[in-house]
Amino acid sequence: MLACLCAVLWHLPAVPALNRTGDPGPGPSIQKTYDLTRYLEHQLRSLAGTYLNYLGPPFNEPDFNPPRLGAETLPRATVNLDVWRGLNDKLRLTQNYEAYSHLLCYLRGLDRQAATAELRRSLAHFCTSLQGLLGSIAGVMAALGYPLPQPLPGTEPTRAPGPAHSDFLQKMDDFWLLKELQTWLWRSAKDFNRLKKKTQPPPAAVTLHLEAHGF
Amino acid sequence: MLTLKTWIVQALFIFFTTESVGELLEPCGHIKPESPVVQLGSNFTAVCVLKEKCMDYFHVNANYIFWKTNHVTVPKEQYTIINRTASSVTFTDISLLNIQLTCNIRTFGQIDQNVYGIRIISGLPPEKPKNLSCIVNEGKKMMCQWDPGRETYLETNFTLKSEWATEKFADCKTKRDIPTSCTVDYSPVYFVNIEVWVEAENALGKVTSDHINFDPVDKVKPNPPHNLSVSNSEELSSILKLTWINSSIQSFIRLKYNIQYRTRDASIWSQIPPEDTASSRTSFTVQDLKPFTEYVFRIRCMKEDGKGFWSDWSEEASGITYEDRPSKAPSFWYKIEPSHTHGYRSVQLIWKTLPPFEANGKILDYEVTLIRWKSRLQNYTVNDTKWTVNLTNDRYIATLTARNLVGKSDAAVLTIPAYNFQATRPVTDLKAFPKDNMLWVEWTAPNESVNKYILEWCVLSDKSPCIPDWQQEDGTVHRTFLRGNLAESKCYLITVTPVYTDGPGSPESIKAYLKQAPPSKGPTVRTKKVGKNEAVLEWDQLPVDVQNGFIRNYTIFYRTIIGNETAVNVDSSHTEYTLSSLTSDTLYMVRMAAYTDEGGKDGPEFTFTTPKFAQGEIEAIVVPVCLAFLLTTLLGVLFCFNKRDLIKKHIWPNVPDPSKSHIAQWSPHTPPRHNFNSKDQIYSDGNFTDVSVVEIEAANDKKPFPEDLKSLDLFKKEKISTEGHSSGIGGSSCMSSSRPSISSSDENESAQNTSGTVQYSTVVHSGYRHQVPSVQVFSRSESTQPLLDSEERPEDLQLVDNTDSSAGNLPRQQYFKQNCSQRETSPDISHFERSKQVSSVNEEDFVRLKQQISDISQSCGSGQMKMFQEISVADAFGLHTEGQVERFETVGTEAAVDEGMSKSYLPQTVRRGGYMPQ
Repeated sequence: MLACLCAVLWHLPAVPALNRTGDPGPGPSIQKTYDLTRYLEHQLRSLAGTYLNYLGPPFNEPDFNPPRLGAETLPRATVNLDVWRGLNDKLRLTQNYEAYSHLLCYLRGLDRQAATAELRRSLAHFCTSLQGLLGSIAGVMAALGYPLPQPLPGTEPTRAPGPAHSDFLQKMDDFWLLKELQTWLWRSAKDFNRLKKKTQPPPAAVTLHLEAHGF
Repeated sequence: MLTLKTWIVQALFIFFTTESVGELLEPCGHIKPESPVVQLGSNFTAVCVLKEKCMDYFHVNANYIFWKTNHVTVPKEQYTIINRTASSVTFTDISLLNIQLTCNIRTFGQIDQNVYGIRIISGLPPEKPKNLSCIVNEGKKMMCQWDPGRETYLETNFTLKSEWATEKFADCKTKRDIPTSCTVDYSPVYFVNIEVWVEAENALGKVTSDHINFDPVDKVKPNPPHNLSVSNSEELSSILKLTWINSSIQSFIRLKYNIQYRTRDASIWSQIPPEDTASSRTSFTVQDLKPFTEYVFRIRCMKEDGKGFWSDWSEEASGITYEDRPSKAPSFWYKIEPSHTHGYRSVQLIWKTLPPFEANGKILDYEVTLIRWKSRLQNYTVNDTKWTVNLTNDRYIATLTARNLVGKSDAAVLTIPAYNFQATRPVTDLKAFPKDNMLWVEWTAPNESVNKYILEWCVLSDKSPCIPDWQQEDGTVHRTFLRGNLAESKCYLITVTPVYTDGPGSPESIKAYLKQAPPSKGPTVRTKKVGKNEAVLEWDQLPVDVQNGFIRNYTIFYRTIIGNETAVNVDSSHTEYTLSSLTSDTLYMVRMAAYTDEGGKDGPEFTFTTPKFAQGEIEAIVVPVCLAFLLTTLLGVLFCFNKRDLIKKHIWPNVPDPSKSHIAQWSPHTPPRHNFNSKDQIYSDGNFTDVSVVEIEAANDKKPFPEDLKSLDLFKKEKISTEGHSSGIGGSSCMSSSRPSISSSDENESAQNTSGTVQYSTVVHSGYRHQVPSVQVFSRSESTQPLLDSEERPEDLQLVDNTDSSAGNLPRQQYFKQNCSQRETSPDISHFERSKQVSSVNEEDFVRLKQQISDISQSCGSGQMKMFQEISVADAFGLHTEGQVERFETVGTEAAVDEGMSKSYLPQTVRRGGYMPQ
């Protein structure tokens, strides 16, 4: 079921761009995508707080910073600065798209486990928003004339609970999922800001606020 | 009745039919379509198909079918026979919303039977919904609304549909009671465009609105900023700083603001220019505020680019700006009160508290300085707004400053002129008028420059004294309104005083009303003078307390009870008016109304009646009438006087004086004297009253001696004195008639001679002068008998002869002597005198006396002394009248007359029949 859902998402880029507001160039879409990352970041902040409280200690402690164990399949947002600078727009957008596709699949797994209705509602809304982000990125790529990445068969992200996963490790995976999501949103904000500057020669008064708050 | 029968037959028929068919309520046919919904105004056709079985049973076919709508038969023209079993009906332009259509057959030619019925519902297909718009209240779900179009009369469902390019969202179905809006089930995702439209659907169709595509963040209505707070600055008294907390939406969208403020007591908000608050922020400093003033603020926000909706206003917050020094000097004036100390004046300095916008803070106290002419300055600190000080008669300059926490105001300077200062230079053209519910005062400034004007005003009233309020105006002002609590319908006396550098000018006053009203009471009219055709009315001026305005004029209404009312307008300066052309002797009702600019009020009604005659008219009639009467009377009297003799002759006929009668001369005998025995018999029968005889014995003797004449005179005198009292039982008329003949016998001799015509009585005089008649008798003519008797009594004459020694006492002596046979010859003057005093006696006394007399006569000689005593006792008892005495004497005379009746009959006849001239 989950695999099926993820497959649908993986094929999502096949659909036309989300934003159908005329064709004033990619500028507005990029700006909107940037705003959306900010909006998601704002949402995630309250969602993560709620969810980590739900996981309980030590995950909800402010200085809890465990080593990344397991969760190897999660796409990593951290990258060498030079490498990041060296990325072209297409690769940058593609990496974003692929990352959020995977993360969304994992996130839906969280939804299943969530105990309280309030948490489920927040998760569902975040998922919808993240899905909107994916569509938004796809729209930007379409506007810039880049093809959407083709999902590779067999590489679809799965999250089948194995016997090796203890409850703690499972919570650790959830923790890292949320952490990775936040890192990706920061990175995306930077990516789209950079893209925005490129597409809109006078950078106007847009400033990038990267808030490096921890959980 | 027929209908009822038909129904019963029908029912029985159906019963039998169903029984025979064997199925309960199986219809005889059916209508197609079964439950149609038809568009209003369209055409509709229904077909009724009969069952063969029924047709056979009832021997009917489609020709027998007839249709009814809402129990009314449809005209045959609308039917169409399709075949043997089916008939259709067609309706054009359906206008009813709900029609009951039945298919019926007529069996056996007369029985109507219902075969089948349907209900036709009609309405309209939905219109395309218009004006679809959505709003996202921050933190809530998206709500969209639209205009559903015309009424469809059918159940119409509206569905709000929304989708992304990649995903469809759940439909939002409207609730039945609000078909024009719907709130979606999911939280909107900002920054991702969504497409929204509405589908309207009912039995007659389905229609879709235009699609709208938008980013939900552009439809957001943020929550208002909260925790708004206001703080002031000690450095700047004109600023306040606002701080607030934005709603959480500010973390991903930028906001702009509206900030509004007002003073605490104002109702209109001022707004800070929007361009100053067009970007996201959490604080703002408001400038150009008034010192020491409380301001109220509120704030709202929306998305910076203007897309979306303004938030609601935040809760209000207030703050007070810091104090500043008073911006103006207080209004400053003075009053001089009489002082008891010679050479000093009591001056009350008065001033007004500064209004808050000029005080700029809390006034702590006032500083007053007084500078006497060429003298040094004196400082005083006062907390009140008035200060009384005793000043000399010199000129003073007073200054006043108000002080608050921050500083002092400018000084107000006032010159108090010297004692003998003469104020001049008043304002001119002073006017006062109400406008916009305020009392305005306007004046023309004097030629000289004026420092300021002082306006004083008070309510004019008879009940309360004039307590002035006042205000100060700048020297440049020549028109202002009174800033006081003015009442309507009150007369205000307004005084304007210009104040120059050297002191106040002379004041000018005017009266004014803030708002006039009709007078509370009308004038009381009364008459001052009422004439036959006019009346002078007068009235008092209305007291100022009831005037309620300027009395512009009066109206006098007057009428009679039946007549129409007449109105007369009178100028307000008058207090008197003359109504003319009134009708005399008529009741008039008059009342009076006083009018201000706002209306009038009637006074009480006064009633007066015009007199019948004008003043002096009665006198003009009465005086001449009286004069005429007087004149007539006078003339009458004069006439009478002139003709008095004639009149006298007519009214008082000459009665002959018996004393001057000469009958006695030729009478042969003196009349006989008393006979007591006979007299007793005569009087016992009680006829005494019928006859009265007065015997006047002037002289019994034929030869009148000097003594006799004297005694006669004496007797005359006695007679005269007794005549006034004569009354008598039947004898009064004789006496009265005899009297003038006694009293006026001397002077009336001629008259007696001429008037000898006395028919009713016979007068017998005893003689005149030396002609001494033997006896004098008055007698009524009806009864002549006694007269005859008395004249012919010879005994009396004899007796007189015997006792002529004393003529005056003669009768008494005769009396006693006769009774007692002269046994005692006591003249007994005392007795006589006593008898003279006797003036009256009542009948009983007299009867008693008579009895005594008879007793005496019976026992003559024995009870003489006793008799005397008894008589004197009788006198004491009340024998008072001389008349009685006379009668008493007459008794004796009569008695004497009885005896000698026949002796002197002839002379009597002669006397009676004629008159003897003397």
